[in-house]
Amino acid sequence: MIRLLASNAILVALAVTALGAILTPLAIHRGRRDWLMLSYAAVYTNFVLVTVATLALVWGLVSHDFSISYVAQVGSRATPTFYTVISLWGALEGSIVFWAWVLGMYAAAVVWFNRKREGNLVPYAAMTLLVVALFFHILLLGPANPFQPVFPVPFDGPGPNPLLQNHILMGVHPPLLYLGYVGMTVPFAFAMGAMFSGEVASDDWARITRRWTLVAWAFLTAAIIAGMWWSYEVLGWGGYWAWDPVENASFIPWLTATAYLHSVIVQERRGMLKLWNLNLMVGTFVLTILGTFLTRSGIISSVHAFTQGTIGYYFLGFIALVLLVTLVMVAGNSDKLGSDGRLDAPLSRETVFLLQNMLFTVFMFTVLIGTLFPLVAEAARGVKVSVGTPFFNRMSIPIMVALLFLMGVGPALPWRKGAGPELKGKLIPGVIVGVLVGVAALVAGARNAYSVLAFVFAGFALGVNVEEFVRGANARVKAHGEGWLTALMRLISGNRRRYGGYVSHIGVVLVAFGVAASSTFKSEQEATLKPGESLTVSGHTVRFKSAWMREEKQRQVVGATMEVMDGNRVVGTIEPRMNYYPTSAQPVPTPQARSLLTGDMYMNLMAFRQDGSNVTVKLIWEPLVPWIWFGGYVVCLGAIIAMWPTRERTAVRVESAAPSAPRLSEGQA
Amino acid sequence: MTNVHSPKRAVRSLAAVFSLAAAISLAASAAAAQAPALPGAPASAPQDSGALRVQVQGTLTDAQKNDATLESATKSVASQLRCPVCQGLSIQDSPSELSQQMRTVVKEQLAAGKSQEQVKDYFISKYGEWILLEPQAHGFNVLIYAIPALLVVGGAIFIVFIVKKWTAAGPVAAGAEVNADDD
Repeated sequence: MIRLLASNAILVALAVTALGAILTPLAIHRGRRDWLMLSYAAVYTNFVLVTVATLALVWGLVSHDFSISYVAQVGSRATPTFYTVISLWGALEGSIVFWAWVLGMYAAAVVWFNRKREGNLVPYAAMTLLVVALFFHILLLGPANPFQPVFPVPFDGPGPNPLLQNHILMGVHPPLLYLGYVGMTVPFAFAMGAMFSGEVASDDWARITRRWTLVAWAFLTAAIIAGMWWSYEVLGWGGYWAWDPVENASFIPWLTATAYLHSVIVQERRGMLKLWNLNLMVGTFVLTILGTFLTRSGIISSVHAFTQGTIGYYFLGFIALVLLVTLVMVAGNSDKLGSDGRLDAPLSRETVFLLQNMLFTVFMFTVLIGTLFPLVAEAARGVKVSVGTPFFNRMSIPIMVALLFLMGVGPALPWRKGAGPELKGKLIPGVIVGVLVGVAALVAGARNAYSVLAFVFAGFALGVNVEEFVRGANARVKAHGEGWLTALMRLISGNRRRYGGYVSHIGVVLVAFGVAASSTFKSEQEATLKPGESLTVSGHTVRFKSAWMREEKQRQVVGATMEVMDGNRVVGTIEPRMNYYPTSAQPVPTPQARSLLTGDMYMNLMAFRQDGSNVTVKLIWEPLVPWIWFGGYVVCLGAIIAMWPTRERTAVRVESAAPSAPRLSEGQA
Repeated sequence: MTNVHSPKRAVRSLAAVFSLAAAISLAASAAAAQAPALPGAPASAPQDSGALRVQVQGTLTDAQKNDATLESATKSVASQLRCPVCQGLSIQDSPSELSQQMRTVVKEQLAAGKSQEQVKDYFISKYGEWILLEPQAHGFNVLIYAIPALLVVGGAIFIVFIVKKWTAAGPVAAGAEVNADDD
């Protein structure tokens, strides 16, 4: 019953999206603009239908309807309801349903907000969205059909992959990831729409979608950080980033999207880099599809890629189609995509943006090549090779260090022209902070050149970006006699995109400190302890109190209670555990961390005696790791500030009407 | 006039810092292209850690030191070997039982006087090239190091070219900026 409802909803959605997509060019070429309303209606109808299918699948999961193939595959009566609901994205088919739903939602929202806009840009963007939706419906009716009948109906199922039901972050990270991934379809659709409609010379597509891009980027950023956190909390190795293909798949489009967020400023402001931005956006979209292909086709085996099948060919075909259409359309619009760049002096903010874009692009290619290389090598040489952390660190750390440097230089440099007299004042705080941080790192024992440089440049970027706020606020205090905090708030709300960007920069610096410190100063020790014995790492001591075991609904848990000591005083406990799931022979390690401002005491239970007379535990001192998570929040906060709706249009008009209004950021803002 | 002086100096010093950073990144990518030629390039680990270890009568500090060098050599090798049962973790990072055993093998072999290279070769002979987390930079594998390096160099040349072109196109006409209020 549920099964039929859901598969029919997808079938109808397939027809609706196909018709809507065909209708758009017909309507435009026949001059029947009233038909366009029908194609917009197709976008809304699609959203309703996919919502029905998604809810039906969730209902099927919750009601343990094992006659539905997907439920029979991932469901189990013993799984707690929360993990049952989130197993919607626990395997291939369900995650494609979820993808189609998120896409339907974005498409409906985008069309709704722009429905009154004249011209052919929005209709063609809607058409592009419908075609992408159509592709996912084809997947859902073909190789990724979650609604196949199962007969005889089993009484119970195996339940989700143990790794996916071991931590609450599994309810957070995948939705964020999909919201980020799928959100990149919106700017892509508008880029395509601009080319189809020939409106590519105007910057409307970039302007209309900039907030959508920022939304998607913020979700993707949050998803990557949440994924790191999950890896840290669940996998028990004390790290947060392993350059695993799945991690790379989420990171690769983030790199091009980040490049785009910066270079689109150059386009909006100076009318330059149009073709480049178009390519970045199409590239980002293709990379999200490629990422899904890599992780969902099972081509690279990895913790998330637990499926095999023919779906890979569909993805490859779709990627080829997108690239081909883009190529044809770019060629068709090439006369409109040229831009005449002009600069007063080579050392300008534009140049820094170019360098930043170049480094982000190289970074993207490096990670992409590294991720794909095992496949290529196997195909070309017939030999299996691995490409892992040592390679990615070797190649990417220099790029990251250079990017930190640029993040400090960029905001200090004026547009168009070389340095003005204020440049020195803008750089000095950064240089001071950078040197201080560098000296601190050296004193703390950092000896690796890149590590020291990372600290220096992160400090430099921190100084420069903070200085922007201080100087702007001071100017307001002087000009308006406002209190300093009021001045700061008004400064930010007066130019949210700019200062939101700087807030994000500060967040990136915090992440950089966390990453640099934890990879430079991390120390660990493993020991077998009897009750009452203690273990000390980097001055942090834990004492083994007791080992215990308990039965939970879907698993068996073995844990050790470790007391955190301050001298002879117990100041807290850490309870590393091992979770045993019936479906898995290997226990799932469940480390626990005690977070301090200066770092985490991270504990993992390695082994235990059945009678509890001793346990083997690992204590890792992870300096500044909490800064990474906090920095992630700050980056997203910056994005929220930048995307927050303002009375933007009116604000622009007021300012251009009154050029004497004080430009508080030194006129070059 | 005095005003003009300081920005120029600032530009010059900034340019100096800039080129330094560029040089560092370039040198780094060059190093990245070359260094793997000796993949085991011991970070700090002397080859004779095993020999050191047999010297029993050393003072306590010597013993500690020698334990520390063996420890760091083990760590260096272990972080380059792939845990066969994990998702791309090294045997240094992986908490799995097999990784613990493999780490012990690494340590024993180093203690017995084998070089880091020899220990890695031993694992390659058992598992194939796949066991190395970083491909050895010879033959086909060179591509993976060369392509990013070439991209950086090509990108830098292109940027120099385009910035020269833009600067030659001359100063921006007044009022040419579209959204001067943003960013």
